[in-house]
Amino acid sequence: MTRVPTVHRIALLFNGNKIFDRDIIAGIGEYLTSTRASWDLYLEEDFRCRLQGIERWQGHGIIADFDDPATCEALAGVHLPVVAVGGSYADAADYPQAIPYVATDNFKLVKLAYDHLIEAGLQNFACFSLPKADVNRWAQEREKAFEALMQRDGIQGHIYRGVGTSAPSWDTAVEQQIAWVRSLPKPIGIIAVTDARARQLLQACLCAGIAVPEQVALIGIDNDPLARILTRVPLSSVIQGTVEMGRTAAHLLHQMLHGARFADTRILVPPAGINVLASSRHEARNHPHVMQAMHFIRQYACQGIKTEQVADYVGISRSSLEWYFRRELGRSVHDEILRFKLDAAKRLLQQADSNVADIAVSCGFTSVQYMHAVFKRELGCTPREYQEQMAGDAPPAVALSRKKSPAVGAILREHNV
Amino acid sequence: MTHFTITSAPADHGITLYTLRNAHDMRVVISDRGATLISWWAPDRYGREADVLLGYPDCDGYLANPAFFGGVIGRWGNRIANGRFTLDGVDYQIDRNEGDNHLHGGKGGFHLMPWQVQTDPEGLRMTLASPDGAAGFPGNVLASVLYRLDDDGQLRIDYTATTDAPTPINLTSHGYFNLNGGAGDICDHILSIDADAYLQVDRRLIPEKAANVAGSAFDFRQPAPIGPRLAWPDEQLSVAGGFDHCYCLRRENDVVEEPGRKVQPLRDVATVYDPGSGRELTVSTTENGLQFYSGNFLKGVQGRAMQPYAIHDGFCLEAQAYPDQVNTPEREAVILRPGQVYRQTTAYRLSVRK
Repeated sequence: MTRVPTVHRIALLFNGNKIFDRDIIAGIGEYLTSTRASWDLYLEEDFRCRLQGIERWQGHGIIADFDDPATCEALAGVHLPVVAVGGSYADAADYPQAIPYVATDNFKLVKLAYDHLIEAGLQNFACFSLPKADVNRWAQEREKAFEALMQRDGIQGHIYRGVGTSAPSWDTAVEQQIAWVRSLPKPIGIIAVTDARARQLLQACLCAGIAVPEQVALIGIDNDPLARILTRVPLSSVIQGTVEMGRTAAHLLHQMLHGARFADTRILVPPAGINVLASSRHEARNHPHVMQAMHFIRQYACQGIKTEQVADYVGISRSSLEWYFRRELGRSVHDEILRFKLDAAKRLLQQADSNVADIAVSCGFTSVQYMHAVFKRELGCTPREYQEQMAGDAPPAVALSRKKSPAVGAILREHNV
Repeated sequence: MTHFTITSAPADHGITLYTLRNAHDMRVVISDRGATLISWWAPDRYGREADVLLGYPDCDGYLANPAFFGGVIGRWGNRIANGRFTLDGVDYQIDRNEGDNHLHGGKGGFHLMPWQVQTDPEGLRMTLASPDGAAGFPGNVLASVLYRLDDDGQLRIDYTATTDAPTPINLTSHGYFNLNGGAGDICDHILSIDADAYLQVDRRLIPEKAANVAGSAFDFRQPAPIGPRLAWPDEQLSVAGGFDHCYCLRRENDVVEEPGRKVQPLRDVATVYDPGSGRELTVSTTENGLQFYSGNFLKGVQGRAMQPYAIHDGFCLEAQAYPDQVNTPEREAVILRPGQVYRQTTAYRLSVRK
């Protein structure tokens, strides 16, 4: 006879409109699938968190995002087992008291970004943060981490918080960002506290004709696919260990439902990786003509540009530009354009169910046949074969990030309070 | 295809160091004392080289090698409870060198022996004759390892052994890795192991029973960072002071038949990724067991840096039979008999995730 396991009613108090929260929920879902623990999950229909009446909720346990102090307050009077999730704090006193806490390690997130910029050869560093607010204490923690690293290495770092984002102040905000970037020593590596912030700055740089990554090498945090899609220069980013945070929080709550108590348990989860793309691929390159040309190619390679147009943009003759390219890079302008198109095509082919013909068009190849020929020559395989190879060889972490939240859809059942 | 060069250099105590070098200038240094992996120089995401193996500062350390750094372990890798087993009706008492346990071949384990280097066009081949009665084991055993390094960064280790009397055998490689080259501990490394079960141990670290990994700190079927898992409340982690457990690797259906023995085909069983350096280690093996050790006893061991090692400064993934298997119903699978050839292949591949 099979024993029917006790069903526990668990509330997940998150703001699922953010990639950070969504991936934590995915991790919780993954844990539940692997254990067959029976949890009825309470989540708002739009995956947003509303706290009204939570203290009267008849359930067994709660996992909540404690980055918002309102959540912290609302749950103070709740006597159910609660597991808190959020950002790490440099000062232990800043953590909520007597509650198990699973944190993304803010220091290690910033350190990974910083180490990457150092390896890229940069010597000036800045941090693009957010205006101080209760709801984004993690941004201040990342600033603190940046300051600590600067102090450790005896470097004068630059921190800019800018203004909050609103439609009426948008133009002013962008102007101020441009002014700030212009005032910085160059070349400089900038760590933005989120990808959303990095995307704004990248856009400001492009508006102002500041070359990324030659003048400004930029890296964000979150590895948010949306931020990547919205930028013309692919954005580098630090990947948070969010799925593991979700699994860890679920594990702790699972034990607590069976009587364990972990009041002082604090588990810090390090970053899961770093996605290095064009925005931080800074290479010390001296000649401004090459720098400008690269800036143009990076933005427009996939729109079918030719050497002529690049030379026009830089404002020198085609033959001069070719000469500079040969000298500095050891290849022609055409080779460089092709390399960008090929890289873009490779990236798109790695996405499941992508269509080769569409990719050829969107990467600026004049025909599918031409893309075939380029793949054959450069990689020794057809685009289709490359796609299959990538699908087969994908390392586990990549495979995981591609099929986000395998279980969530199957498990989550929404209830009303 | 393997394309590499081998060079040799004499060192102290009559030890010779051999270097395998591939086309990308990746280098693996191996000592003929214990057929030991000394160094593995590999590039990170930015092309910067570092040694990803832990080791002693000089040859002296390897004469006793209390941490078993890099050695080929034999005749029995891992533990045997009370150093006792029964084979064909005869009881044997072998060396007990870890409390009452037998561990890693006893006082004169393979990792401490001078191995003979054989000329071999395929790679670096070393052999060892282990006499009848060595560490208390029966039979004269002739063991051989072949090290090869290919241009994909794969170090392949092929073990073979023969005997003139029935004996338990379980060979493994005991390299301690740190993929960041020692810039920090291994707690931020992200591990995955293709195993649904692991062996829970008693206070002596002898396996008691197989347990499903699901829902526990031991579940690495999806990649997970080692450090946070060490922080999960778990009785098995407390018993061993961290991870020091054998995983029951997923078995393939198409076993390779050998005279009197069955082995798994060589398949990928584990990966470790270090986000900081971008280095990734992929382990593949023909074995059923994979011991994951999180360097719980490294504190105070003097390595090659100024500071001695600290806890969790390195990890081991040792492909092998199950610990104490010679005292379980599956004992026959670890007995080598005259006329049979013991074969084991394990490969470690180092690559970079951009």
